[in-house]
Amino acid sequence: MSTHVATAGVTQPRQYHGVLDWITTTDHKKIGIMYIVFALINGWLGGSLAGLIRLNLYNPDWHIVSPALYNQLMTMHATIMIFLTLMTAFAGFGNYLVPLMIGARDMAFPKLNAFAFWLLIPAAMMLYGSFFVVGGAAADGWWSYPPLSTAQFSAGHGEDLWILAVILLGISSIMGAINFLVTVIDMRAPGMNWMKLPLFVWSWVVTAWMLVLAVPVLSGALFMLLSDRWLNTGFYRPALGGDPLLYQHLFWFFGHPEVYIMILPGFGMISHIIPSMARKKLFGYKGMVMAIWSIGVIGFMVWAHHMFTAGISASARVFFSMASMFISVPTGVKIYSWLASVWGGVIRFTTAMKFALGFIFTFVLGGLSGLMLAVVPFDILVHNTYFVVAHFHYVLVGGSVMTLFAGTYYWFPKITGRMLSEKLGSWVFWLFFIGMNWVFMPMHLLGIEGMARRVANYRIEFRPLNQFISEGFIFMLLAGILFTYSIIKALREPKTAGDDPWQANDIELHLEWATSSPPPAYNFAEIPEVD
Amino acid sequence: MEHASLASPAAAHAGMHADPSAHTPAPSFWPILLAGGMGAVVFLVFLVYLGVPLAGVLLAAAVLYTLVAASGWANTIAVERRHMDQVQTNKDLTRGFFFFLASEGMIFVSYFEYLYYSRFTSAHWPPAGMPTLETTLPAIATLILVGSSFTLNWAVHALLHGKKTAAKNWMLLTIAMGITFLGMQGFEWGFLNGVLGFTLTTGAYSSAYFLMTGFHGAHVTVGLLMLALVYWRMEKGEYNQQYHMSLKAAEYYWHFVDIVWVFLFFSLYLFQSH
Ligand code: HEM
Ligand SMILES: [Cu+2]
Repeated sequence: MSTHVATAGVTQPRQYHGVLDWITTTDHKKIGIMYIVFALINGWLGGSLAGLIRLNLYNPDWHIVSPALYNQLMTMHATIMIFLTLMTAFAGFGNYLVPLMIGARDMAFPKLNAFAFWLLIPAAMMLYGSFFVVGGAAADGWWSYPPLSTAQFSAGHGEDLWILAVILLGISSIMGAINFLVTVIDMRAPGMNWMKLPLFVWSWVVTAWMLVLAVPVLSGALFMLLSDRWLNTGFYRPALGGDPLLYQHLFWFFGHPEVYIMILPGFGMISHIIPSMARKKLFGYKGMVMAIWSIGVIGFMVWAHHMFTAGISASARVFFSMASMFISVPTGVKIYSWLASVWGGVIRFTTAMKFALGFIFTFVLGGLSGLMLAVVPFDILVHNTYFVVAHFHYVLVGGSVMTLFAGTYYWFPKITGRMLSEKLGSWVFWLFFIGMNWVFMPMHLLGIEGMARRVANYRIEFRPLNQFISEGFIFMLLAGILFTYSIIKALREPKTAGDDPWQANDIELHLEWATSSPPPAYNFAEIPEVD
Repeated sequence: MEHASLASPAAAHAGMHADPSAHTPAPSFWPILLAGGMGAVVFLVFLVYLGVPLAGVLLAAAVLYTLVAASGWANTIAVERRHMDQVQTNKDLTRGFFFFLASEGMIFVSYFEYLYYSRFTSAHWPPAGMPTLETTLPAIATLILVGSSFTLNWAVHALLHGKKTAAKNWMLLTIAMGITFLGMQGFEWGFLNGVLGFTLTTGAYSSAYFLMTGFHGAHVTVGLLMLALVYWRMEKGEYNQQYHMSLKAAEYYWHFVDIVWVFLFFSLYLFQSH
C-alpha cells in the first residue's frame, strides 16, 4: 500500500481504506484478486449444484430433487461454472499478471477494468435470484435453445433473467477484453517486443480477440430470443417463418470460441510453470505463439460440430468434421512442446508441477474424445449422451480447472507473499486427480451405452456406474475443502516467499518475478528495460 | 523469450529517483456506481416487462442516474488527462474505441447472418405474404446519411485548420442531416406499420427488418448525442489542434454507423428480388 507523502509538484491520489479501498480501487492487482475470490466463491456454489446433481443421480428413486428442479440445477451449474467461475478466474489471473509480465504499472484503462468487474455483481445477483422467482431458474441447459427456451415452453421468468444476466456478463467480458488488448499493444516496457512476450500474455491477447469477436454474436442471438419471448417476434418461430436452427448457428459461433476462451489462458499458465519447474527453457516458443493463433483462428470455423444431428447439410458435416480434426494439430504442437520442455529437465515435483503434468494427461484424453466426436457417424451415436459430458469435463475440469490449480500454486507467493503448503498441496492434487478421473472416466462408458445427458433419471442398468461416479465426487469435494483451507491457512502466515521463490528468473527472465512479493502498488520502482 | 534479460536488474526494484506511486491510477467510485446503475436498468426493464407498479418510474430514475454516473466518469477522465501524456492516452483511447466498434460490428454481423441465412433457405424472397419494400425514400435517406459523413469530415478538417466557425456550421449541418435521416426512418416505419400492415410480429422477415433498422436507429441516436456533445464543446472552445479526442471518437462512431447503414440498405432494400 502506498503511504508516500506528497512530494513537491506531484499530487498524490487520494487513498481510501478498508472496504472503501476495495470498492474504489483501480489497481489491476486488487481487481485481479477480487476476480479470483469471486471465482472461488462461485466455484463453490456451482460445485454445490454439481453435488446435488450427483446426489440425485446416486439414486433417482430417492427423489432428492424434483425433475423440474434437476433441470434448473444442471442449467445453473453450467452457467455458473462457465461464466462466473472459469472466465472470471482467468480474467483474475490475467488482470493480476499481464501488467506485471509486460513491465507496466497498470492496465490501459484502470477504471474500465474495475467497471468490468463490478458489472459481474448485478449479473450474478440476477442469476442466483432467478432460483426464487415463480417457475424457478432457467431450466433449458446453458445453450438455451429455442423452441425449448421460447415463452411457450419456458414460461418462467428465470429464463428472462438468465438472458439478461448473460448479456450483462457479455458486456463485462468485452470491456475486459478491450482493456487487455490495448494494454498489451501500448503498455509494454521498452524492449519487450512481441516475440519476447511471455506466453501467458500471448494467450490472453488471442483470448481477448476471441472475446471481442464472439461474445457480441451471443448477445445478438439472445437479444432476438428475448424479443421472441417479450415482443412476439418471429426470429426462431417456424410458424412465422423463423428458424430455431439459426439460433444454434449463432450460439455455437460464440460457443466454440468460448471453449477456447476458457482454456487458452490455462495453456499460457502451463507454458510458464513447466519450464520453471523442469529447470529448462521452454521448447519451441515461436511454435507455441503460432499454435495459439491458429487455435484462435480455426476456433471460429468449427462451430457446427455441435450440430451434426441438428439437420445441417452433408457438405457442412464434412467441412466441420475436417476443420474440427484440424484444430488438434496446433493443440498437438503445444502438447509436444510441453513434453519436450520437460524432457531431460531436472524436474521439481512441486504441487504446481504435479497439476501441470496431470493437466497434460487429462487434457490429452479430452482431446482424444473430442476427435472421436468430430467423426460424424460416431457423434450421431453419442450426441447428447454422457460421452459428450465426459469429453467436455475432461477438457474443462481436467484441462481448465487443473491449470487454475497449477497457476494458483505457482503465483500465490507472488500475489500474497506467502507460500501454500506443499504437503497439503500434494493431497489436493492426488485427491483431485483421482477424483476427477473417477468421476468422468466412467461417463464415457455410460454415454456409449446410451445414457442421455440432462435427464434426472436413467434406466436401472446404469445405476451401479452412477453410484460409483457419485462416490468419486467425494474425492473432488475433499480436494476443494483442503485447497480452500490451505489458502486460508497460508494467509495467516508471515510473508516469507521472497521475490522469486521458484528461481524462475534463473531459467528465463519473467518480469513478475523481478519485483517484490506482493508487488508494490506501482509494480516497479522504475519501468524495467528488457533487452 | 530466448534473449530477454533485464537491462539493469536493480532498477526494477530499488531505484528511488522519483516517487513511483505518482504513476498509479487514482481510486474512483465511478466504476461501481455505473455498474450498479447498468445492473439496475437491466433489472428494471425486466420489472417493467412484468408490469410491476412504479417500475417505469424507477426505470426512468435509474436511466437518469446511469447517465449522471457516466458523465461523472467522463468528466473525471477529462480532468485526469490534463496531467497525463496526451499522445499516449489518445492512442490508447482510439485503439480501445476501435476494438469496441469491432465488437459492435459483430452484433450487427449476427443480425446479418440471420437475414442471409433466412434468405438462402427460403423458397421466396421476400417470404410469401411479405411486401416488396419501396426503395425511393430509403435511397434518399441513404444519400443524406452518407452525405453527413462527408460534412462531418469537413467539420473536423475545418477545426484542425483553425476555422472554428466553419467547423461549427458543418457540424450543425451534420446533426441536421442525422435528424432528417431518423425522421425519414420514422416515416418509413409508420408507413410500413400503418399502411402496409408490415409490423414487428408479421413474420420472421419483418421482425428482422425492424430489429435491424431499429438497432441501427438506436446507434444513430447515440451518434447524434455524441455529435451534440461535441458541438457543445466546440461552442465552449474546448478543442484545438492537439486536443480533440472526443471529436475523433464521435467521428469514428458516425462513420461506423454510416457504413453499417450502407450494408443494411443493400441487404434490406436493394437486394430484394426473387
Ligand atoms: C481436439 C480438439 C477438440 C475437438 C475435435 C472437439 C470436438 C467436440 C465435438 C464434436 C463436440 C460436440 C459433441 C456433441 O455435442 O455431440 C464437443 C463438445 C464440447 N467440447 Fe470439444 N473438442 C475439442 C476440444 C475441446 C476443448 C479444448 C474444449 C474446452 C476447453 C472443449 C469443450 C467442449 C464442450 C464444453 C463441449 C460440449 C458443449 C455442450 O454440448 O454443452 N472441447 N467437442
Ligand atoms: Cu466445439
